[in-house]
Amino acid sequence: MVDFLSNYSIQKWLESCPQGYLEDTIYGHGADEREPEELLQNDDYREQQIRTTVQLIAGERCALAASSGLVNAAPDQASKTFLATQTLDEGRHVEIFTQRLFDLGVKPNDLESTIATYINPHLGKFAEVLLEKIDKKDFVAGVVGQNIVLEGMAFSVFEMLHAGAEAANPKFARTLSGTIADERRHVGFGENRIGDLIRRYPEKKPEVQRMQRDMTKHMLATFHEAFARNGGPAEARPSAPQKGKPAPTYQGLNMAEASNEEMEGALSATVLKEFKTRLGRIGLEYQSPV
Amino acid sequence: MTDPLELPKAGRRPRQTFELEETGFNEVPKRFRRFYRRWRGPGDKLGPNEALCPVCKVVIRSTKELRAGDRVYCMPCMSRLELVEEDGMLIAKVIY
Repeated sequence: MVDFLSNYSIQKWLESCPQGYLEDTIYGHGADEREPEELLQNDDYREQQIRTTVQLIAGERCALAASSGLVNAAPDQASKTFLATQTLDEGRHVEIFTQRLFDLGVKPNDLESTIATYINPHLGKFAEVLLEKIDKKDFVAGVVGQNIVLEGMAFSVFEMLHAGAEAANPKFARTLSGTIADERRHVGFGENRIGDLIRRYPEKKPEVQRMQRDMTKHMLATFHEAFARNGGPAEARPSAPQKGKPAPTYQGLNMAEASNEEMEGALSATVLKEFKTRLGRIGLEYQSPV
Repeated sequence: MTDPLELPKAGRRPRQTFELEETGFNEVPKRFRRFYRRWRGPGDKLGPNEALCPVCKVVIRSTKELRAGDRVYCMPCMSRLELVEEDGMLIAKVIY
């Protein structure tokens, strides 16, 4: 019996998500919210947003494949029920970020070619490491890779993007806040389920830690390339409309003034610190890829 | 002078009670929403009836003052937590 899931049900998921923070939203944002005109009329700014959104779609497609694959690998009904709701969460994330590409002017017929053009190759390798474990129906490694490493990374990336978009692009910020709320459940499931399983199957530790090391290597390479090409979130650029509000900050950095290296350093440090803390709590030792 | 920590349980200062107002938190079913609020970052100060969930960074609120040894539940991430005192601060630890 998985005790921490004893009160979880699809009914509770319905009351928390569709009838909670997603109530009255359309593709994750308010019905009257639009992408800012300044963004749509500036080709550089728009392309940067397309590139960022493509990475979100790629990450969410990986999460969808992983969570749906884990349903059949889960050893108990409570975990299968949770993962069924997570599968729908991830499917929704793929849809809302795809819709954002359309809102940014990408034609539906050009969707796959746009993704192929802009996807960060390191993100593809990151996904391959995880999906290999899912293919083998390795539940422990799959949950650590999906719900702790991937979701932990997404949690921090979404928070950074949210900080950058909050003043300049309320539509995107609202979309992100709904996904952050979903991630809370996903990381909670990961920690609580694996915290128990790792104590029961300590022999799994070395293999799971190796996977974490490999995923971390590809994640850091993804960040490096993303910041080298894109810089920080476009909404945080000095030219972005801030609607009279002070420049956004992330981890104490002024996002409108910080260099690409500083932003990459702040995001990487935040994610790695979270990894170490989360893995330590469940009895795993963080493995540095360096 | 009497050290209040040395007093038997029955002699301890009674716990403060708190009225919980709505905080705008909407990530759990309606009847539970007043028990949670969003964490506003490092400058945010926790009240004596509040604990920060280390897993999902949501603030858990109680109608009673919280003390070391109390157990609380974080519904947004489903974590069960126990409060422990470290360096004079109440810290929430996850119970697996």
